[in-house]
Amino acid sequence: MIIITRPHVTDAEIDHIRERIEMLGLRTHLSRGEARTVIGCLGDEALLQEAALLSLPGVESVTPVMKPYKLAWREFAAGPTVVRVGDRGATSIGGRALAVIAGPCSVEGREMLRQTAVAVRDAGAGLLRGGAFKPRSSPYAFQGLGEAALRMLAEVRAETGLPVVTEVMDTRQVDKVAEHADVLQVGARNMQNFSLLSELGRVQRPVLLKRGLSATIQELLMAAEYIMAHGNRDVILCERGIRTYETATRNTLDVAAIPVLKAETHLPVLVDPSHAGGRASLVAPLSFAALAAGADGLVVEVHPDPAHALSDGDQSLTFSAFEQLMHGLRPFAAAAGRELAAPVSSLREAA
Amino acid sequence: MSAADAPPAGGRLQALRGRIEQIDRELIGLIAERVRIAREVGAAKRELGAPTLDPAREAMVVRRAGELAREAGVGDEDVRYIFWHLIGLSRRAQMEGD
Repeated sequence: MIIITRPHVTDAEIDHIRERIEMLGLRTHLSRGEARTVIGCLGDEALLQEAALLSLPGVESVTPVMKPYKLAWREFAAGPTVVRVGDRGATSIGGRALAVIAGPCSVEGREMLRQTAVAVRDAGAGLLRGGAFKPRSSPYAFQGLGEAALRMLAEVRAETGLPVVTEVMDTRQVDKVAEHADVLQVGARNMQNFSLLSELGRVQRPVLLKRGLSATIQELLMAAEYIMAHGNRDVILCERGIRTYETATRNTLDVAAIPVLKAETHLPVLVDPSHAGGRASLVAPLSFAALAAGADGLVVEVHPDPAHALSDGDQSLTFSAFEQLMHGLRPFAAAAGRELAAPVSSLREAA
Repeated sequence: MSAADAPPAGGRLQALRGRIEQIDRELIGLIAERVRIAREVGAAKRELGAPTLDPAREAMVVRRAGELAREAGVGDEDVRYIFWHLIGLSRRAQMEGD
């Protein structure tokens, strides 16, 4: 059930409405927007029938929620969610400005991470990605540098100012990763690891939730609902390709998922073209498609020497290819009515 | 660098952190006290034959906490969130012996 309040509703009226709902054993969630304020109800809605909510002062309308997800549902919030990260929340995901998260698949060493961070920042990326703990399909493949990589990410953030996004695989790692990272990523293989999702609900860090290889859009939204129901409202969704019968690409980018998600949820939606295509040559066209379909940003793998990368070399862009990609994105960003940070080189030229 | 010859800002930060630590100790002491009283409330309710769970009272406590937070100039949503957790603690304490 969501309750839309009248314009100019008072705090006391809102308090009274919430108390009437909560005294029946339900919980409420308040979302204040410029145009309207929404009170969402969580719990057994059948109990609300006796609350006569429409007759309460300040109530404009009462609408039942017909979706299995509530907190993630678009109508539950007064407007789109903008997740703020980094020092003083200066970087935003979900606003008018597109969020570009770039960096190596795995952190392979301090120097390669530093070089990559500087290159992607100068090309206009707003956040640095880098895997410390890697969930690989093979137990014999490179598993990541672990805690050493977390420390490198924190050092490079201090040096470059780029907020850091890194994956957390296990409930036991959550506090350790939250200590070093600005955004905690849940990988596709862990999308339905409900104990991990619950744990991430308890930390005060934004979560980047990647869609599972075989997960439906509804399952992705229910995974987000898990995190939100445990207290963390800063969830960012990421479409990264789904498994189909096609073998020419690593996965199939579900472009339609972007507008479907934007219609269903107030949460930001990013696209990972690197994992979706599995080849560097596909990253640019899939990125263009993502922006055209309304994505709030991209997650792109970049490596100083993709041919010698310890993981995902085939799909990683070189520094110059990433710079070209950022340049190529401009007309698509403009057509979608979005802003893209200018590369440092053009700022220098302008100055 | 010892605390004595720390720069003024460094010394101030250290003093503020010390004050926060003291407040945290007081908060935890108060939470423990609240839980202890909730246990007694639970016993009193049992003597009266009243149900331990009282959602109407919980809703009132949270509304009051939100009002007090606004008067004090801190985020009422955050304070409401904290109070639902405090109530969860107290509820469990009251139910001990149920």
